[in-house]
Amino acid sequence: MLPLLSSLGPLALALASATPAPAEPPKILVTRQLAEAQRLQIGDVVSISGDPSGRDPKPFKIAGIYEPTPDPMRLVAKRYEARLHLPDLMALNADPKDPLSAESVTAVNVKLRDPADAEAFGRELAARVPGILALPTARADDGAGPFAVLERFHLAIALVTVLGSTAFLLALMVMRAEERRETVGILRLIGISRRHILLEVLVEGLVVATAGAVFGVVFAWLTEGAVNRFFQWRYDTALVFVRVTAPIAARCVSLSVPLGVLAGLAASWALLRRDVVALLRR
Amino acid sequence: MSPAGLAWRGLVRQPARAALGVAGIAVVGALLFDMLLLSRGLVVSFRDILEGAGFDVRVTATDAPPLLGPPLRDAETLAETVRALPEVRDAVPLRSGKAEATAADGSTLPIYFFGTGSRSGHGWTAIEGSGLTPSADAGTVPVVVNRRLASRLSLTPGSKLRLRGACGSQATALPPVEMKVQGIVAFPFDSSAGLTAMTTLPGFLRVCANESPGLAELLLVASKPEAGADAAVAAIRRVAPGLHVFSNEQLLDRLQRTDFSYFRQISFVLSAITIFFAFLLVTTLLTVSVNQRLGELAVLRALGFRRWRIVSGLLCESLLLVGAGGLLALPGGALLALWLDRILRTMPDLPERLHFFVFEPRAVLLHVAIIALTALLAAAYPAVLVARLPIAATLRREVVS
Repeated sequence: MLPLLSSLGPLALALASATPAPAEPPKILVTRQLAEAQRLQIGDVVSISGDPSGRDPKPFKIAGIYEPTPDPMRLVAKRYEARLHLPDLMALNADPKDPLSAESVTAVNVKLRDPADAEAFGRELAARVPGILALPTARADDGAGPFAVLERFHLAIALVTVLGSTAFLLALMVMRAEERRETVGILRLIGISRRHILLEVLVEGLVVATAGAVFGVVFAWLTEGAVNRFFQWRYDTALVFVRVTAPIAARCVSLSVPLGVLAGLAASWALLRRDVVALLRR
Repeated sequence: MSPAGLAWRGLVRQPARAALGVAGIAVVGALLFDMLLLSRGLVVSFRDILEGAGFDVRVTATDAPPLLGPPLRDAETLAETVRALPEVRDAVPLRSGKAEATAADGSTLPIYFFGTGSRSGHGWTAIEGSGLTPSADAGTVPVVVNRRLASRLSLTPGSKLRLRGACGSQATALPPVEMKVQGIVAFPFDSSAGLTAMTTLPGFLRVCANESPGLAELLLVASKPEAGADAAVAAIRRVAPGLHVFSNEQLLDRLQRTDFSYFRQISFVLSAITIFFAFLLVTTLLTVSVNQRLGELAVLRALGFRRWRIVSGLLCESLLLVGAGGLLALPGGALLALWLDRILRTMPDLPERLHFFVFEPRAVLLHVAIIALTALLAAAYPAVLVARLPIAATLRREVVS
């Protein structure tokens, strides 16, 4: 295992062609995407340069291939990355004119015993070492991040589709009620009250709406894998795009069942208000 | 009676059903219209911003997105070489970094800080004052700022602005540099919350004193109108083969395949769903309507109405239903697009002028074509039912029931 690794951005280094090296070169890890794109395998020796022109390359041996941590912020970026031992990376990027460059790192990751202390730790560190900026890695949930915005966008789209579906549902219920006009007229004639008929419609609507909602959730759950696989293939990532969770399913059912029942009741009530003779068209 | 008249009477006889059908189609049609706007909105809007900047070719060291990759070396010499090409009108190196200003309340304001080579055009809209011109006094560093920064620090042309450079990745304690505000401008890529200042290349190096001279993140190139961007790209590639040279169109093409692809795919998926939804809605409405009127249609056929006339009436009914919904969808979709655009534009660090939903006449034409096709397809199944209607058997069933 590599004890200390540092990540290289794809722009920092140029990867030259694979060449054999006489001595055992230092080891690196490369991402699956880079390995696939350049047809690299474990044990291959590659040349890496700290200069975009590929000047002064140094050999490295691929010790492993890894799947990079999925990052939604870098969804469309090609994850052509390599991880080097920190001393190797610093030697590669060292600027002979700047002695400090061999002793400088871009950032130090710190794991606190209590993550809630992040702000206090940052303040204390800044006070002790002027010029150091310590920031918590957890982003504040202020609703301004790109994914919070996307969530609002998807919610707005969902609201519009609910509106369209409601109109569709009401139209269907009106037609269904119209089809049962004579049956309802006969039921009224034999003495069954409006309330009883409405209750029957309510129960029927509840059963149909619940069945529809459950079907929708099960359909979403079954197709979840296909949607994820398509987008994972499209963006070459391990990110999960769709996940049908219990709260989301509950939200769908709690919205669609009352809507279905209300649409059925509204359509039936419009029919029941009419006179029995009018219902029987006599 | 004409098929259209027959269709109209069929619809007004069931006003609630027709109104609900039209409402449903109007809502899904609005969503479809918006998805058509979204499918190209970012590209149209971004092209508008790029062209507004006044440069049609860009040069970077690698194929990394502009300002995010390694810098160009010896940029001023490169700019001179490129400027000398017959296809090129102007070439301007651009450096980017960060700086800090101190607000009146003592707080530190982080600022996007740029250094630019001298340019014949401005590439920004001047709101107050002049553009960026090197001062005769070598000690004075000129700067132009965006309106937000001017407002935060109460700056006007002629004011002094003190900036402390924070350009490198390492923290430094550089002394602040006093600069003279020459103008308040709107930069093409300004974000809605960003504070931006731009100075000359020597001014940039005064503020970011720890930065190496001769570097630039980007070379902005304006081609000669008679040569065009593609010829300029080819010419620059010949003189600077190791660099990444691309035109606005190539950049847009790349963005469409990468950064903008999420919204293009969302718009494709939602368009397909809304079309299917509209198709399902109209097919169901017409099929149920036909099933309820089988006796009536058989009587019309028995009275001598030709089969094609009844089928045409059904097609007209579908077109009326979908046409009315589709027409209502246009203003509804426009309002919905404004709302959705406002939601998406709250994303951080987006250029203020970037829009996700952009109106184009082709979107309306496409919308109308899709809606008409949906109406025709949706009427197909009920039309088959009507065309195959056995007149005698239907009339007998109607009388017996």
